Amino acid sequence: MAAESSRSFGKKRVRDEESILDKGDADRTLGLENNLTFSDTLIALQMMRAQFPNIEKVAMQPFILRSQLYSSVKDRTQVDRDLESLKKEKVLRLFKLNTGQDDHAIMFLDDYLKQCALLSCGAEVKDKHVTFLISAGLLNRQLIDPNMYWFTIPNIGSILKGLSQGRKELLSFLNRRKFKEMLLAPLEKKQLRFSPLDMRFHLRDLIGSGHLKTVRTPTGLLVRVSKD
Amino acid sequence: MWKAVKDREAGVLLPSSFASRIRSHRVASFDLSNHKEIVSPHNGAINSLQVDLTEARYLLSGASDGSAAVYDIQHATDYERGLIAKHRSLFVVDKQHSHGHRYAISTVIWYPVDTGLFITGSFDHYIKVWDTNTTQVVMDFKMPGKVYRTAMSSIATTHMLIAAGSTDVQVRLCDIASGAFTHTLSGHRDGVMSLEWSTSSEWILVTGGCDGAIRFWDIRRAGCFRILDQSRSQLGRRPPLAESTSKKGSVTGQSSSVKTAVSQRRIPLGNETKQLRTLRKSQILTRGPVVQRLHPGLSSSHNRATAHYGAVTGLRATGDGMYLLSSGSDSRLRLWDIDSGCNTLVNYEAMRLQPTKALQLAVTQDSSLVFVPCMATVKAYDVWSGMTCRTFRGHYELVNCCCFSSQYQELYSGSNDRQILVWSPPNPIIAEMEDGRGGLVSVADQDNWSD
Repeated sequence: MAAESSRSFGKKRVRDEESILDKGDADRTLGLENNLTFSDTLIALQMMRAQFPNIEKVAMQPFILRSQLYSSVKDRTQVDRDLESLKKEKVLRLFKLNTGQDDHAIMFLDDYLKQCALLSCGAEVKDKHVTFLISAGLLNRQLIDPNMYWFTIPNIGSILKGLSQGRKELLSFLNRRKFKEMLLAPLEKKQLRFSPLDMRFHLRDLIGSGHLKTVRTPTGLLVRVSKD
Repeated sequence: MWKAVKDREAGVLLPSSFASRIRSHRVASFDLSNHKEIVSPHNGAINSLQVDLTEARYLLSGASDGSAAVYDIQHATDYERGLIAKHRSLFVVDKQHSHGHRYAISTVIWYPVDTGLFITGSFDHYIKVWDTNTTQVVMDFKMPGKVYRTAMSSIATTHMLIAAGSTDVQVRLCDIASGAFTHTLSGHRDGVMSLEWSTSSEWILVTGGCDGAIRFWDIRRAGCFRILDQSRSQLGRRPPLAESTSKKGSVTGQSSSVKTAVSQRRIPLGNETKQLRTLRKSQILTRGPVVQRLHPGLSSSHNRATAHYGAVTGLRATGDGMYLLSSGSDSRLRLWDIDSGCNTLVNYEAMRLQPTKALQLAVTQDSSLVFVPCMATVKAYDVWSGMTCRTFRGHYELVNCCCFSSQYQELYSGSNDRQILVWSPPNPIIAEMEDGRGGLVSVADQDNWSD
């Protein structure tokens, strides 16, 4: 009796440890299939921020693309409205990207501040302030009009290039297949050669922007290139 | 349905709500029409369609081969197999016509008062006014660029102006009564691809340009009085009046002209004149610092607020005149509240819109559904929630225009494959026939007595 009870006690402890381990690796092991949709915009933003891939070459704070948010929360109108109110409360910042139509990157304000080593909060803008900000990587000249500037995130260049190349690579990979579709589980495990961002990031983005669509099958989710 | 009839009889249901219920039920069952076909004589892509506003009986179409045709959509010209009505064109005017257009026709509209006149605008820089009965050109206007869109106000009682948008930055108003241009509206920075007269006032014109701006013009005074800015937004419908007066203090004036990709930083009105001066310096022709005095109610021409990130390709106002739908080449459809000038932030699900051509949108009469030509399909979206209700697949190539006839609840769509398709609620008798019963006597006509 004592031996049996000690054995069951031993098993329980092992199981407890396993469950703790699971929660720790939840982001990596659960995969996209179970984690595809969330109920609330802010929760979705925080979860995706936690899942942002770690890039060694560039010190980059996590950002989320707007199309990823659309693929994660069901009601798109609600997403837009939540983003608007979060912007007003100064929790988030929205950046327009030049990679394709209507691309926006969302960054939490604390992350943006961490990304910029110094910030100027001056009232008057003088030329020397502007050149200082440009050299710090925060401001960029707008080519159309010399008096208008873009706000940028420092060190974002290589990541944006990786973003557009990764999208093209994923779409061409699926287009080359016979039926232009693949199950989500094996697709997620593939590595992209040209992009430092991971496959899950690109999948969410392309599903949200409408280039890919997901279909439920008895063996799991299927990802297919959408025709129109 | 019979319960609804009994309710109307008893006075429980209002006749108007009974009618709107039947209409929305019919619209919800739309499909490719199984009893009506339009035989299109065009040899080019169909760019524009309009059903006439007086009796909703005649459909006008304009195509890329320079031809325009009129069809009678209520009475068929002949029947195929006795069941499917074929509507052939009543007449066609094309390049062979002595005064016909030489290049593609981009826009056709009926004269709003009656069907005796119609107006065509084409890429050969001309706008021609035709007499329908004699099919002769009565008047023409030469524009400085390719004509993209023309519009006439359907509620106008004091003027007969044709608003025309072309590749030129100025919008011109042509007068049929005098044969001359009466107004030139400047303010856009690029061509004007879409135009609409307001459905609530005969003096207000809305234009959407290739620079992405949507401007409101009152033609009785100079300049535009409102520019829609996509960063000014409100969450859904405006709150009722009592709540909104308390929030008046928080709403500031025009959006800043210094473009920040971060957005939402409003520069107070005091700094505006200083910025105008600095902006002026950057222009190539240096005229010295000129302070532009703004008349109350006028928008500065330096206001660079955009409604879309690309060109504005289509505009449609709802029937009640309160909301405006705009489609852009950034593949977005936006719903604007006209009175407050704000973006209502309704997100219409992922759509791909053709970026280079002007589109013609259609809205149902009670403003519940909007029909948008998306690539090779026509999609019906719910106006307030943005969900896709239906996708109509039938065309072989890109769809350019769609027109909704509210009187008979039918949708007409024209595309690059030279066809005009009719989408209507199915005719139940013909649906039964196709089920394979055969025979010419339909079931509905047979007597069904029990002895």
